[in-house]
Amino acid sequence: MSYSRSKSVVLWTLVTIALVTLSAPTIVVLGASFTGGNIITFPPDGLSLRWYARISQASDLRNAFLRTLQVATVCTIVAIPVGTLAGITLAKYAVRFEKAIQVYLLLPFTIPLIGSGIGLMLIFGKAGFLGQLWPVGIACCVINLPFMIWAVTASATGLDPDLELAAANCGAPPLQVFFSVTLPAVMPGVITGSLLMFILALNEFLVSLLLVDARIVTLPVLIYNSIRSIITPDLAAISVVFIACSAVAIFLLDRLVGLDIFLKSK
Amino acid sequence: MRAARTAYPLKWRIMDALEGVAAAIWPARFRRATPYLMLLPAVLLVGLLVLGLIQIADASLRTLDTTTFQFSDDYSIANFQRALTEPLFLVVARRSLIAALIVTAVTLVFAFPYAYLMVRTASPRLRKFLLIALFLPFFIGQVVRAYGWLIILGNQGMVNEALGLVVVAPMRLIYNYPAVLFGLVQYMLPFAVLMLAPALTAIPEELEAAAGSLGANWVRTFIHVVLPLARPGFIGAGVVVLTLSLTDFAVPAILGGGSQDFTANAIYDQFFRTSDQGLGATLALMLVALGSILVGLVFALFGAGTLAMGRSRA
Repeated sequence: MSYSRSKSVVLWTLVTIALVTLSAPTIVVLGASFTGGNIITFPPDGLSLRWYARISQASDLRNAFLRTLQVATVCTIVAIPVGTLAGITLAKYAVRFEKAIQVYLLLPFTIPLIGSGIGLMLIFGKAGFLGQLWPVGIACCVINLPFMIWAVTASATGLDPDLELAAANCGAPPLQVFFSVTLPAVMPGVITGSLLMFILALNEFLVSLLLVDARIVTLPVLIYNSIRSIITPDLAAISVVFIACSAVAIFLLDRLVGLDIFLKSK
Repeated sequence: MRAARTAYPLKWRIMDALEGVAAAIWPARFRRATPYLMLLPAVLLVGLLVLGLIQIADASLRTLDTTTFQFSDDYSIANFQRALTEPLFLVVARRSLIAALIVTAVTLVFAFPYAYLMVRTASPRLRKFLLIALFLPFFIGQVVRAYGWLIILGNQGMVNEALGLVVVAPMRLIYNYPAVLFGLVQYMLPFAVLMLAPALTAIPEELEAAAGSLGANWVRTFIHVVLPLARPGFIGAGVVVLTLSLTDFAVPAILGGGSQDFTANAIYDQFFRTSDQGLGATLALMLVALGSILVGLVFALFGAGTLAMGRSRA
């Protein structure tokens, strides 16, 4: 197929603007974290790792990061079984009220985050759960659950139902069919979904802001609170933690299932 | 036979036991209900949100007594009257709605070529590069990205420092409406591209070649072939971007600096600054309603697009 010159020019101009806009904050935060000066200036005051040394000493940052990891772990552990079962069911079985169930399971996306967050804050508050970390994990799981279900349905639709019937025909009882045929077939979806859930919970800001108190702030909330007062390079150094996590997640996603999975038409 | 019995691996024994337990709890005659059982955890989990909405609805009907700081026991619609009449809330609502529309339009304009190039390029390297450039910010989160923009655009930020080098007076590039819009577009781009890409993959490349061989130039091919066929992607991307930007909190808070509050910020302030839970809940409920009406309207007019889950897809 022959690309016309004007088409390439228009496409590439728009894509370049998008690329610069997408990457600028990441690159700048990375650069700022290595600055030698006390404030972030341009051009930078030389290179140094002093801000990394500074943040590795700060126990409040380390604790906030550990708490954030805990939240993301709870979120992922809950999401894997719940999302996998729901995803397989939606992809394979004819259930009654299928449309209604789909709309219902999309609620986490259609209800604005501030609404979901405040609603969960009110019910967790009534139940006396606030001030702990696991409710934050559950909340992150609920608001992002459609991502997990999507990922699983996408791989489950590729599974030929005859394979499961064949296994059953060879004498495999239901659980064995599930663990040796169904689950391996949807594994790429499960891996994609759980990585998404983990990284989104790691970054979740608004719902964390509503559900945590000063004793259990998570890292995104801590960064937000510090931004308001003053911009110092140590914040840039902490932010690099998120950039590193993001890079690791992308690497894993690419190695385990391939990034192309997101381009597949359903 | 005895020898075979000792050779029976432990894993098989465990599986047999599990099968036995499963068969005891969930006998084969329940089989038709199995799909519902598998959906149950997800339904219960999302049920938390429904419970939350009920709590919000309940709180929205109670008014705050400003002398005792107690909430009324009886219901009234006073909060709704206040929310609809106080000019502040109307300004905030209009600001977020207009922002959502502008951000959606601009984001789609940039997301479409990005998704198109990513799907159509013959070079796997370019595809991977575009995917990584998309996922890196997507996985970094709003707060860090907004912080990056503060470093670039802030009053002592990089752009102003660079302008200072060529002796241009510093400009105020943040804490205004365009900064918030810009931040939102950057935040929404990955969402929009990821919703568009599957729809573009579904369009056979031969169709474009066919249009070309029939004499259409690329602009006409786009307008008459690619864009109409990519409609499910545009619906999915449009709905996601519209609702997310309408209800965003972090970008207006960080890049708007308190002067460009959206509805979500106003709700937060009612809960945590003014401590008027009732009024905050009312605003939250109205935002949920507005968002649902917008989504419902789009779905009713165009179908669920790439947002659909499960077997029946548009």
